Amino acid sequence: MNLEHSESHATHPKLDVQRTELPNGLVVLLSEDHATPSVSVNAIVSAGSRFESDEKAGLASLTGELLDGGTTTRSSEEIAEMIEAVGGQLNTFGDYQLSGIALALLSKDLDLGLDVASDVLMNPTFPEHKVREAVGRRVAQTKARLDIPRTQASDVFNEIVFAGTPQHRPPIGYESTVATLTRSDVYDFYRRSFSPDNTILALVGDIDKDVVKHKLEATFGRWGRAPRRDAPPAPRPQRQTFPIDRFVVAPKEQANIIVGHVGIERNNPDFYALLVMDTILGSSPGFTSRIPRVLRDEQGLAYTTFSNITSSAGLDPGRFIAYIGTAPENVNRAIGGLKTEIARIVEEGVTDEELDVAKSYLTGSFVFRFQKNAQVAEFLIECEIYDLGFDFAERYSELIRAVTVEDVMRVTRKYIDPRNLTTVVVGPFDEQKEEGVS
Amino acid sequence: MTTLAAPESETQSKSFITRGVQKLVLSNGLTVLTKELHDKPVVATMIWYRVGSRNEELGQTGKSHFLEHMLFKGTDRYQKGDIDLITHVNGGVNNAMTWLDFTAYYFVFAPDRWQVALEIESNRMRNTTFAEEEFIPEKHVVEEELRIGLDGPWEALENEVWATAFRQHPYHWPTVGWLEDLEAASDADMKAYYDKWYHPRNATLIIVGDFNTTETLSRVEELFGPIPPGPAAAPLAIVEPPQHGEKRVIVKKPTPVERLLIGFHAPAVAHQDSYPLKIAEALLSAGKSSRLYRRLVERDQSVTKADASYHDHIDSSLFYFQAELKPGFKLADVEAAIYDEIEMVRRGLVSPAELEKAERQIEAALVLASEEPLQQAMLLGQYEAIAFDERVPADLRGYHYLDTLLERIAAVTVEDVANVARKYFTEDNRSVGYLINDDAGVEGERELGA
Repeated sequence: MNLEHSESHATHPKLDVQRTELPNGLVVLLSEDHATPSVSVNAIVSAGSRFESDEKAGLASLTGELLDGGTTTRSSEEIAEMIEAVGGQLNTFGDYQLSGIALALLSKDLDLGLDVASDVLMNPTFPEHKVREAVGRRVAQTKARLDIPRTQASDVFNEIVFAGTPQHRPPIGYESTVATLTRSDVYDFYRRSFSPDNTILALVGDIDKDVVKHKLEATFGRWGRAPRRDAPPAPRPQRQTFPIDRFVVAPKEQANIIVGHVGIERNNPDFYALLVMDTILGSSPGFTSRIPRVLRDEQGLAYTTFSNITSSAGLDPGRFIAYIGTAPENVNRAIGGLKTEIARIVEEGVTDEELDVAKSYLTGSFVFRFQKNAQVAEFLIECEIYDLGFDFAERYSELIRAVTVEDVMRVTRKYIDPRNLTTVVVGPFDEQKEEGVS
Repeated sequence: MTTLAAPESETQSKSFITRGVQKLVLSNGLTVLTKELHDKPVVATMIWYRVGSRNEELGQTGKSHFLEHMLFKGTDRYQKGDIDLITHVNGGVNNAMTWLDFTAYYFVFAPDRWQVALEIESNRMRNTTFAEEEFIPEKHVVEEELRIGLDGPWEALENEVWATAFRQHPYHWPTVGWLEDLEAASDADMKAYYDKWYHPRNATLIIVGDFNTTETLSRVEELFGPIPPGPAAAPLAIVEPPQHGEKRVIVKKPTPVERLLIGFHAPAVAHQDSYPLKIAEALLSAGKSSRLYRRLVERDQSVTKADASYHDHIDSSLFYFQAELKPGFKLADVEAAIYDEIEMVRRGLVSPAELEKAERQIEAALVLASEEPLQQAMLLGQYEAIAFDERVPADLRGYHYLDTLLERIAAVTVEDVANVARKYFTEDNRSVGYLINDDAGVEGERELGA
């Protein structure tokens, strides 16, 4: 086989981006793309479960979901009816570090979309009956997490690795905390966290920038700033100094295993070298990277297995994890396999060929992040949040190409610690097997 | 060497999805669809084989899906791992999917290197090797994929309801097959199945994106033209007879959340009743203004979610309802509430505005989905694969189904929706599944927060 790969012809996307700031502090990012008669409207607020207390776990997520639960002039039914009558798709959410709305609709309906989107963000009333309805549903959803063993394993892992920080909690919260949340909790969280000066609005797709700008002044431009309130910084998670093993018995067909520890922040300058490392160790699509190649392709232990440190990197440090779902009788082999590959990359580093292949993939596939309006909007928001600059799309290839074998060795040793890993197993093993593990 | 026929031009199509599509059939029977889109620097290449779990037999279920895995495991030219490695080195992505009626493979690459996809697809159509040393570990991989499904409460319930609703037709079994059949599968079985179905005559190649059609077609001819057409596929003779009487099934599984699935036999792709049923699906279940959301999530507050789904398939399939219950609510009550909502539609209690909304939702969903070239290729390929036999009106066959789909949707009246609801949403035509908690209970919860 001939593995020719032209050094990427820098097929980086040419993004036409205009950034403006409204007088109320709202950052507006506009990008035109007329390929499809559709628009993506994303309004993202720096609010999330990162800013809530353990006692109120689930509050940010609940608040985000309820943004379209009614406004000062419209009921939830009217909001849904208006958007859906034109085939629009509105999603409101609250996550770990960000909350807000994502709206997709046909470009001919943009005026209506901006009207409703701004109303939902600026004037939500969180009616009592909608709060009770959502709380009841969410209590059930917290229980249903136990139906998905991979989610269960991830929850247990976070509780251990992020103990003492807001990240230990699932953003949806716990049954016991969600059940106690009230309308005043929600309204108070909204008042403290939602303000134009901590919000980014991205409009991408079949728009005319000049026309849209005027419309924004009449909608989002009327949003008044909330009084400045600085949330206390989230405590930083500490890297563990000893191995931790946790086994959770669950009556399932498969054992779900996560091995890992605390990861990195997005703004860490070693992010790009770690992205290359991720691609080599366990994050390539297909099964080229080491963990899927060895554990799936060669040993047939799993359908899904991967590792990653960069995908969870955010404002706070994320996590380094290696995951595998395998038959209960293969648990020891699977854990052994993951740990061996983690130790091997730390000890031996990577080869020149692996480095070249990973860099080729990362630079060549970057363009796929710009196929849909919503993807472009998310990219622009990421550039804004992490201060990457809008020329990031053009600089990305250089950042990746600059990574050397030595860089990968250095960052792997710095950020991956094979001796001090947390291992979580959720599966149907009995006491005997438990003794055999680790 | 075959000669290139002049492609039929489709530039006049009213549908933005099929506008610009060119179709060419090589002399070996391979159908080729191309659509140039120069606004995004990507090319999506797909190949669709008209073979899925529908074409399998009892005792050998899951072969179509297993075969899909084996197509990445080595040919006379590519060793195991090479296809992924080539994709990777060229900065592309690839994957594949198998369902009831078809198996499809795709690659997405930047425009300066996408033609490796043609090389790979033309090679692995006939030259996959099925080496035993690759077959055994891959069988374990597929077994693990199947186990993920066995742990999923929805999959467990779906499998039983479809198996109950379809007594004779192969939609009886899930696409991944039954675990016991998979364990018994041999490399010889797989090779025979491959030899039966993987041929130009049973395939459609689709290329959407930033490329030049003329150059591309001659490369396609060069690579695929020499492959023999292969045997003609015999039409599937199995027909599911009408159901006479409700069927009910209970699945027990340790779960904190009970679930409900109701399936009504519903017509195949392009059947005239399929369009009012698509409207029914939208008005019952699309968004927070839909009937099921209003009734079950907002008014009764008995479920965390409730949906209606209806997909186009070659043969009659199921129009099905799903609900996930909140603890403390009863499956029978939620089931009755769904029937109440269906009854309103049966009586024609649907306003013109609601009908209009459903039409707009279907239209917008199509537009939004087609922002991505790969999604356009998926749509074209899906209808080439399923809308093909004599039951489909001649002018709607293949991707032409999409030319006027929105017009057919727009022509639906409230009376049409009520008529199909009365015709298909009947007690005798339904199969109802309950997923209930197994008393063994859910362990592990105690560990949370530890």
